[in-house]
Amino acid sequence: MTQISRRDFLKLTRNGILYLSGLLATGGLLRFLSYAPTAEQKTEFDLGSADQYPLGSRTSIPEIPALLIHAESGFTALSLTCTHLGCTLEPNETGFACPCHNSAFDSDGNVTHGPAVKPLQVLRIEITDDRNIKVFTA
Amino acid sequence: MRPSFFHHLHPPTIPADQARWRHTLGAGGTAVFLMLILGVTGILEMFYYIPTPEEAALSVQTITYHVPFGGFIRNLHYWSAQILLIVSAIHLLRVVFTAAYSHPRRFNYLLGLALFVLSILLDFTGYILRWDVDICYPLLTGTNLIKTIPFIGDFFHRLAIGGGEACSTGLLRMYVWHIFGLTLPIIILGIWHAFRVRRDGGIAVPPPQARTDNARISRNELVRREVLAMFIVGIALILLSSSVPAPIAPAMDSTPAAIREAASQSAKAPWFFLWVQQMLKWGDPFIFGIVIPFGILILVAIIPYIFPKPADSDIGTWFPKSNRLAQITMGLVSLIVILLTLLANAN
Ligand code: FES
Repeated sequence: MTQISRRDFLKLTRNGILYLSGLLATGGLLRFLSYAPTAEQKTEFDLGSADQYPLGSRTSIPEIPALLIHAESGFTALSLTCTHLGCTLEPNETGFACPCHNSAFDSDGNVTHGPAVKPLQVLRIEITDDRNIKVFTA
Repeated sequence: MRPSFFHHLHPPTIPADQARWRHTLGAGGTAVFLMLILGVTGILEMFYYIPTPEEAALSVQTITYHVPFGGFIRNLHYWSAQILLIVSAIHLLRVVFTAAYSHPRRFNYLLGLALFVLSILLDFTGYILRWDVDICYPLLTGTNLIKTIPFIGDFFHRLAIGGGEACSTGLLRMYVWHIFGLTLPIIILGIWHAFRVRRDGGIAVPPPQARTDNARISRNELVRREVLAMFIVGIALILLSSSVPAPIAPAMDSTPAAIREAASQSAKAPWFFLWVQQMLKWGDPFIFGIVIPFGILILVAIIPYIFPKPADSDIGTWFPKSNRLAQITMGLVSLIVILLTLLANAN
C-alpha cells in the first residue's frame, strides 16, 4: 500500500524534524568549537648586526629556534624544529639530535636517523642595507 | 521504600558468586570509588587553580606548597588517577578472561571501554594542566600527531587546543576538556555502565544450573564488602599520598624561546603513553601514532563480536576453554603494550 496513515505521517515528520535539528545543532557545535583565532605568531626575527657573527660561526638562536651559520658562501639559517613531530633539536658532535623520538640530522640538516623523513627547513634570510640580519619562519 | 538507583545497584539478595573477590577482583567497584575521590579532590583544586599560561604552574605550586593540605589533596588526585588507569585495565582483563563480555553484556563492554579511553584522556589533560617545563613536548608531539590524520586532522587539532602553538595557547582548551568536556561524558557513561551491570543480570556468573554453589548474599553483606574495599583502598591512598608526592617541575616562562629552552629538559611522555612514544620512534607518525593505537582499540572493542560465543556455563569462570581466542588476543595486546612501555623506559 502506498498510502500512509495520518499518524504515520505525523510520526515521520516528528522524527525527521528531531533528527534534523540534532544534526544541525551538532554541526553548529563543532563549527563553534573549531574557531582558531589568527594569533599573531611571530614569523620575523631580527638578529641584529651581521658583524656579531664572524665567518665560520654557528650560532644557536633559541627563540626561533634556529641555527645561524656563517660560511664562505654567506649566511644560512637552519630551523631547529624537528620535522617529525616538532620537538626542538639539540646540537651534538655530528649534527643535531631530537630528544623525543631519536631522530638525528647532520650539520647540513639532512636526516641521518629516522623517524624523521624530511630534512631541516632552511629559513629565509634577509640582510638589510645597514647589515642587520632578519630571519623569516614563514 | 521508593526504589532508588542505590537499590537498583543493590538488590535484596545477589548470588554469592557475583561478589567474590577472586571472581571480580573488586576492580570495577574500586574504579567507582577512585572516580568519586577524583571528583572531590578535583573540585577542591579548582578553588586555587588558574587556567592561564602565565599563572597555571604557579597556582599548582601554591596548591602544593602553600595551601594547608593542598599538597595532600593534589597527591590524592594524582594517585587516584594513576591507580584508576591500572584498576580499569585489570577490570577489562578480568572481563575478557572470564568471558563476561558475552551476550547480553556486549553493549556494556563497549561502554566500559569508552570509560577507559575517557579516563586516559582525562589523565593526559590533567597532566598537561601542570603547565610546567615537563609538559610541553608531550603536548606538542601529541597535538602534532593529531594533525597527521588526513583530511580531518587540522579540524581535530583545533578542537583539541584551539589552533595556535600548543605550548603557549593550548592551556585553556585542555582545562575545559579536563573539567567539563571529558568529565561530563565520563559521569554519564559511568552511571549508565553501572546501571547496565544490573540490567544485564548483575556481574557475570555461570547460569544457576551450572553453578556449584547457589548461595546468595544479602544487600547488607554486599554493602559491608563494598565499604570494606573502600576502606582498604582509602587507607592505601592516604599512605601513598602522604609519602610519595605527585610530580611537579619548574614553571615555564611563557615566551616561546624560554619554553623551547626549558622543554628540552624532559621529552618523556607520561607513563601511560610511553608505549606510543616508543612506536613513534619507528617511522611514520600517522601509522605508528594513530593507526596502530586505534587499531588496537578497535580490536579490543570487537572481541565480543568476532570471536565464537563462549559457552553459557563458561561465562564468569576464569580462563574457560570456549573463549581461548579472546584470551589470547587480549593477552597479546597487554603484553605488547607492557613490553613497549618497558622498552621506552629503558632508553
Ligand atoms: S619529534 Fe623529533 S623525532 Fe619525533
